[in-house]
Amino acid sequence: MKRSKIIMIVAAAMMAACMPLSLAAFNLKAPIATPPALLTSIGQSADVEMAKAIMNRAKLSFSMDSLVKAQALASTNAKTLIVVIGGSSKGLGAAGISADAELERAKALLAEAKKRGMKIIGLHIGGEARRGELSDRFINMAVPQCDYFIVVEEGNGDGLFTKLCGTKIPLDTVQKISQVGGPLAAAFTK
Amino acid sequence: MKRFMLGLVLFAAVLGAVSAQLPVNLYGRAAVGANGVVAAAKPEASQVGIDILKKGGNAVDAAVATGFALGVLEPNATGVGGGGFMIIKLKDMAEPVVIDFREMAPGKATPTMYLGADGKVVPKSTYEGGLSVGVPGEVKGLLYALEHYGSGKLTRADVIQPAIQWALQGIPVTVNLESIIKDNFGKLVKYENGAQIYLKDGLPYEMGDVIYNPDLAKTLAKIVKEGEDAVYKGEIAQAIVDEVQKRGGIITLDDLANYQIKVRKAVEGDYRGYKVYSVPPASSGGTHLVEILNILENFDVKKIGFQTPQAAHLWSEILKLTFADRSKYMGDTDFVKVPLAGLTSKEYAKAQATRIDLNASMNPPQAGDPYKYESGSTTHFSVMDKEGNMVAVTKTINYFFGSGVVIPGWGFIMNDEMDDFVATPGSVNSVEPGKRPLSSMSPTLVLDSEGRSFMTIGSPGATRIFPTVAQVISNVIDFGFPIQEAILAPRVYQAASGDLHLEGRYPVGALDGIKKLGHGVSIHGDWDSYFGGVHAIVYDYDAGLLYGGADPRRDGQAAAF
Repeated sequence: MKRSKIIMIVAAAMMAACMPLSLAAFNLKAPIATPPALLTSIGQSADVEMAKAIMNRAKLSFSMDSLVKAQALASTNAKTLIVVIGGSSKGLGAAGISADAELERAKALLAEAKKRGMKIIGLHIGGEARRGELSDRFINMAVPQCDYFIVVEEGNGDGLFTKLCGTKIPLDTVQKISQVGGPLAAAFTK
Repeated sequence: MKRFMLGLVLFAAVLGAVSAQLPVNLYGRAAVGANGVVAAAKPEASQVGIDILKKGGNAVDAAVATGFALGVLEPNATGVGGGGFMIIKLKDMAEPVVIDFREMAPGKATPTMYLGADGKVVPKSTYEGGLSVGVPGEVKGLLYALEHYGSGKLTRADVIQPAIQWALQGIPVTVNLESIIKDNFGKLVKYENGAQIYLKDGLPYEMGDVIYNPDLAKTLAKIVKEGEDAVYKGEIAQAIVDEVQKRGGIITLDDLANYQIKVRKAVEGDYRGYKVYSVPPASSGGTHLVEILNILENFDVKKIGFQTPQAAHLWSEILKLTFADRSKYMGDTDFVKVPLAGLTSKEYAKAQATRIDLNASMNPPQAGDPYKYESGSTTHFSVMDKEGNMVAVTKTINYFFGSGVVIPGWGFIMNDEMDDFVATPGSVNSVEPGKRPLSSMSPTLVLDSEGRSFMTIGSPGATRIFPTVAQVISNVIDFGFPIQEAILAPRVYQAASGDLHLEGRYPVGALDGIKKLGHGVSIHGDWDSYFGGVHAIVYDYDAGLLYGGADPRRDGQAAAF
């Protein structure tokens, strides 16, 4: 009897570990954000386009400007800023902006969003390919400024996001890009 | 309880395997066999070639089958909508032959076609959308090779059926392909025909997923039935014209019907007793490969050492000189005069070598490189059999996922090869109707000092192609590396000006020395596809074995029997 109980408990734990994340599994326990959102990139990778597809699929109200500047926030009605972090040399080149200028744009944008009382949600969805010297510059600067962060597990192999979020910033981890929509939608008030 | 524990252990192992990060896998890339080897950018494609050899096909049959299979298995880099170069030397041929199936500018192309009203190049117009599409040569090139140099024992169906099968059963999404899809998501999502195939409900496919392409299978089946006319005339040709023009392009039915492959004489040189054959313009690659090796021959590279500061410096200086020449002289020889004999002569190389100071970095030999960044999104594969029949093929749709334009109902991606022209008038490589854009592709064959087939080699990687091929050849000939080790070794790259690019694993101890010699240094990833993806085969006559090497910087894996 005792052995079968142990087996059942272990089996249940194993099943729970394998199941898709449910609401109860999120570290963010209550919605923090209000629509509409403004979606932007920090690092100009194509990941922002994926975030756009995820948000459309989740039917979230948002606008997108990959290169939005701090001063432009005054003319939007956005109440939440969603930043998709990941550096791409190709993306920066195509956008005509240097890594240093992108870092400065992002710093000013995040500061202005905070000043305006906007909630900031950070996403890192590009996995290991969006880590490394270039991306980590953006990550180290931007993550501590977020109110909530969602990372695709592969990108947090070294625990950098866990460390940067610490105990103050709720961090949710998902295994696949297609799972980002769940916690992201749950972060918004209905 | 034992059964339970076993189950738990197995479960943990599977979970671990699924969730673990996958490092670059260096194992199982190489292959050795006595009868034949195929080395390609996908293991499944290499196996397709081996299966053809086992059926009694020759190296060309195997290469054509591998080529069609790669169009399915590596659709981001190559396929029906692209083009390339093939070099063949069968045992009974005195000299190799080059089949140039590079894309051509459409008949309505002009030198100013990419300029906006302000006289500036319209952003993205050269590499995305219909205007970036050149007239494709792939199907004509591969079928010409099969018909003229194949064994005659196998039918079109025999060599294309494996590709059809892969299109139907689906291709596995690897870490590499997942990363490429994510990198190009912005382009894929813009073109609904491509998005339907290469995105999963609007998001990137991820490792472990399978991508099916029954439309491409249909195209390939039509090629089996009708030959090249399946693509260059009739309903597929009409679909190409309709879709490319809908996306802003200018290709016509006449362009497709009039496309011609070119059969060319190989460019040749020799390096420390080995004969080197490669491809002439419209690729610059073979000519500059010979030029590089000729200059390198003037130095005692063994004494200079492997990956010492002086070795990096020497490569940097040779490449600066070579790229300066490329900028000035290289173009389609059907349209411009290129001093091929001079560029590949030993005397010229000797004169160039005297310009190199082994103790100081030279100033850029010319003001700059007018050729802009080229895409590295190409593929290369090599085939050799026990008779010494050799084939090397490099082919491409240019940027990953080409122009983004996918032909609806037929499942293939059109190239954006027009980006390899200079987008403004006045260059030897400016756009002209019917002209082939300058390439760097360098499929290469090497004979040993006894005139026997020794090596077949090539790489993708845009302007890094011929520098990379030269380094791997030097690793084998100068340093005696086995082919797989020669491929794994860290690489360098230098354009006519700017930083010396080093792969991340380049010895740390060499960095200070390199900087002291006056070089700016740009350090890349440890296994960076920026430096290409070499797939090569070396024949060891003493052992009676063929050694295939493949590149972990991509999904390369050789197969043998």
